[in-house]
Amino acid sequence: MSSSAEISALIADARARRMPLRLTGGGTWLDAGRPCDASETLSADTGVVTYEPGDLVLTVRAGTPFSEIQRVTNANDQWLTLDPFGVTTGTLGATVATGSWGPLASAFGVPRDHVLGCEFVTGAGDIVRAGGQVVKNVAGFDLVRLATGSWGTVGMLTEITVRVRAKPEEDCTLAIAAGSVGAVADWVRASVHTPLAAEFLSPALAQPLTGSADASLLVRLGGNSPLVAAARNAAAALGDSRVLPANVWSKLAGIEQPGAIVFRVSAMPARIAHVWARALELTEMFGGVAHATVSRGVVRCILPPGESKELPQMLAALSAEMTLIGERLPASLWPLATRARSTDTLARGVRHAFDPDSILNPGILGNT
Amino acid sequence: MSLALESRLAAIVGEKRVLARPSELRVYESDGLPGYHHAPRLAVFPATRDEVIDVVRLLAETKTPYVARGAGTGLSGGALANGVVLLGLHRLKRIISIDVENCRAVVEPGVVNANLTAATAPLGLHYAPDPSSQTACTIGGNVSENAGGPHCLKYGVTLNHVIALTVILPGGEIITLGNPDGEDDGIDLLGAFIGSEGCFGVVLDVTVRLVKNPQAIRTLLADFASVDSAARAVSAIIASGIVAAALEMMDAPTIHAVEASIYAAGYPTDAAAILLIELDGPLAGLEEDVARVEKFCLDAGARGVRIATDAADRARLWQGRKKAFGAMGRVSSHLVVQDAVVPRTKLPAILAEIGRIGVARGLTVCNVFHAGDGNLHPNIPYNANDPVESAHVHEAMREVMEACIAAGGTITGEHGVGLDKLPYMASLFTPSTLTAMCTLRTVFDPEQRSNPSKVVPIHSCREWHAAPSARP
Repeated sequence: MSSSAEISALIADARARRMPLRLTGGGTWLDAGRPCDASETLSADTGVVTYEPGDLVLTVRAGTPFSEIQRVTNANDQWLTLDPFGVTTGTLGATVATGSWGPLASAFGVPRDHVLGCEFVTGAGDIVRAGGQVVKNVAGFDLVRLATGSWGTVGMLTEITVRVRAKPEEDCTLAIAAGSVGAVADWVRASVHTPLAAEFLSPALAQPLTGSADASLLVRLGGNSPLVAAARNAAAALGDSRVLPANVWSKLAGIEQPGAIVFRVSAMPARIAHVWARALELTEMFGGVAHATVSRGVVRCILPPGESKELPQMLAALSAEMTLIGERLPASLWPLATRARSTDTLARGVRHAFDPDSILNPGILGNT
Repeated sequence: MSLALESRLAAIVGEKRVLARPSELRVYESDGLPGYHHAPRLAVFPATRDEVIDVVRLLAETKTPYVARGAGTGLSGGALANGVVLLGLHRLKRIISIDVENCRAVVEPGVVNANLTAATAPLGLHYAPDPSSQTACTIGGNVSENAGGPHCLKYGVTLNHVIALTVILPGGEIITLGNPDGEDDGIDLLGAFIGSEGCFGVVLDVTVRLVKNPQAIRTLLADFASVDSAARAVSAIIASGIVAAALEMMDAPTIHAVEASIYAAGYPTDAAAILLIELDGPLAGLEEDVARVEKFCLDAGARGVRIATDAADRARLWQGRKKAFGAMGRVSSHLVVQDAVVPRTKLPAILAEIGRIGVARGLTVCNVFHAGDGNLHPNIPYNANDPVESAHVHEAMREVMEACIAAGGTITGEHGVGLDKLPYMASLFTPSTLTAMCTLRTVFDPEQRSNPSKVVPIHSCREWHAAPSARP
């Protein structure tokens, strides 16, 4: 438990000692294998700072776990519409720092779409308060977006303000025997309805979650009663459907076993059928599972633990034709999930400016 | 020196596209905000991407400061090029591609916002950010300001609709921000660039997300006898969880200005305030939400709620709102259009405070704003040639900004800082935060030639610990 001033002093001290720091939230992803050349860890503190339900705005210390946020917002029939994969002991700070997202991103977007303000401590120990507590804000340069998804490399997040939403009147989850991801993509594109979430599951993933032996669509529909009824009718065109309890989403979030290899592949949304086919081929070869966030054109692949000779070559082939982003990988595979970009020099410049002695999570973004 | 630069620019874009005479440059000495007049040294108007690149690289070679400008509709003085080169981008108005399957379009920076939606409407798609100036303002300008508009309440601001940008940095390097071919990760330089008010570089093209047109739209006009009851209706609607597509408020002075103009929309002229509320989405469940919103308004004290009967009626109701600033042009020679945001629960209190400030200064304040976002636009018609009245307006605006900051709000929700809001930045942000902004700018533009002296008051920044050029 540390205040921002204490974190600032700790970072300034680490800088003086040239001691790199590994920044953590709940520490639930430290086994993801991301390269980070730091031996000391520094954790964010926890607690709700302010919550004004009438404004639909919540401010918490960065180390506050999702379970606590859910407890506080549930009391007002509100929710934070971020559901990153993993366990609910994961923290908002880690989610924002890593830009992590889950199925609800279909309707509500990713962390950058939720964060209204934040406080972070730079590698020089400076406390920066960016953004604010209001839902629209263009005052000054957008340091909030800079910090969000930067993996702590421009500063350690200490406090975060997010927009929350009223819970939908009805919230219904269906498993649908949808046949193909292409059919689902066509439906998502053409339908007047916007599901809260729509994940297409590989057969091996559908089995434990829905009981089906075939690839299935897991869809979450929300809104008032007539809207949800109409959306259910519309979705029924995709195949036989049945209602599932809402906890299927937390089962999906926690599906990977310790040591699993997890990565995401993506392309333009209209290429989802191709991306899915390539991802499925690979995951099935290794006895893994896959699920596609159809509207975002992203497929998440989960392989059992253990390295193999073929995997690096296959991942390299995948990354040559689509975007590959690592979640949990053995150290040897991380370079494959780091693509060269025209912004690499600029990104290095930003990191150097905010962390002149490279003490915040050094190496965690690969060579960028 | 100036002659040499002028002739070299003319060699790139043609002689007719470089303006240097004071009489020609006078057109560009203001943007949408009256009260500031700063003429550029030269104005150059490239027509193609290659010309923009050549111009920016020439400006880099000659270490010449410049200000990029779209349609000049900005309301913060951000596009004024005080004695430097004005780089006009409005001729780059090509919609490069529209991709229906992926719901996106690639456009040049000078494409007018409304023209993109007009081009995509037959395909059942639209570009959601809709600033009131959308029939004139450009997508490039929208990116620079992170523009909003009435419908960003539901659909999000420019930031949420830009997938990627091709940008030329002030030093001449061309980069792609964002990932047009899939998910993006790492430091969000795209997010940092959007809303950087032309200080980080010049946009060459923009890849935007297009949104499906809603199946059904209902537009409601609620009529209130007091501003306070209208504000309470806004709070009730927000708290209910119904996400209106737009939720706009106009007060009596604004209603009178609109109804006396060619944009008359049939607003009740005896109302103290009206709410223009739009609900959209699937037809199923929409009437139920309309009924609930109607009840929230009546419970808060509305004298009546009218629902637009058809598309023409809806367009008329919206015309009054979107052209309200133009309607105010009839009232006086000048108009200051302000922009601030407060937490939504503070709306009733801040509107009362703004009213008090206006009365104390003997000024008429016209409020027309995005109530659902808490994004205020207190506007004051005045005569800028009257120094006493101008001073009163300036003081009133300062008091409004201070009141919004004190209420936990911010000094701009969608118009940007530009020149006009510079004095308030140090009230809103700590020295460390302003220094961090200076630092970020220096990474993109080490020589600080791109829109110099805007957005962040340099004197407020501590000297940063790193060298001025932080790039390795």
